Amino acid sequence: MPEKQRIEYSQLEAGYEFSPSSYQLDSSIVTAYLKAVEDTSGLYQDNTLMPPMVIAAYAMASLSETICLPSGTIHVSQEFEFIGAASTRDTFISYARVIRKQSRGKFHLLIVNFNVINQNQKTVLAGKTSFILPEYSEDT
Amino acid sequence: MGLGQLTELSDGMNLLELRKLITQENINLYAEASRDFNPIHIDGDFARQTPLGGTIAHGMLILAYISEMMTVAFGQNWLTGGKLNVRFKNPARPGDTITVSGRISKIESNEGQTLIRCDVLCENQSGDSVITGEASVRAEKRA
Repeated sequence: MPEKQRIEYSQLEAGYEFSPSSYQLDSSIVTAYLKAVEDTSGLYQDNTLMPPMVIAAYAMASLSETICLPSGTIHVSQEFEFIGAASTRDTFISYARVIRKQSRGKFHLLIVNFNVINQNQKTVLAGKTSFILPEYSEDT
Repeated sequence: MGLGQLTELSDGMNLLELRKLITQENINLYAEASRDFNPIHIDGDFARQTPLGGTIAHGMLILAYISEMMTVAFGQNWLTGGKLNVRFKNPARPGDTITVSGRISKIESNEGQTLIRCDVLCENQSGDSVITGEASVRAEKRA
């Protein structure tokens, strides 16, 4: 995945759409992922299917490569919906959009929706991730 | 538990628990596999200078354990009809043993489809919640 231009947190606003990110997850990536999470489910052993969380992890990685969040940012909640099974033959495109950016005192809340489709334009997964940025100042 | 046994599921039934030992090696492997190289996960010197006082596991690594539990319970239906909605409560650290558990809270059937809702929980060896939330899976009901 080529390196992307990062956007600062202060530049984000509700409705901001991140550049789509395209990726493939070949069998070596899936194997490394399964080893890391110690998942020995028989479902993935013939490399036809892949765990939905590896697609989610790459969608999240695409997001984190695009946004500069201040240190101390906490990932507070996560939603995922797994819609379509995926295989190592698929190509994925991940879309992400800020749906909420809110300040409460020193705390800032950022909520991003994302959607991953395959090469047939079918949605594979959707998600919503929430971050809290403590003690963040717009001046920093 | 497989989907073929959907008719045998009932409210209050526990899913098969998983127990995972968190090691720095696992965290490093996950960083490589997921391309998440945030130093709070992999750089001990950096992490010790933060309020967390040391490295922590990726939240997405712990979520993967929940996903594994749901896959064991519901098979391929989890891949095409699964939903997760969770909150990260406390970090998981190297040396922690995480118990991943789930309990069916409600089964709803409608027009040949079944929606199984489960409360899910990841706890460390001290009983502190690491992740709490709900997972649900939609499946065709078999006769």
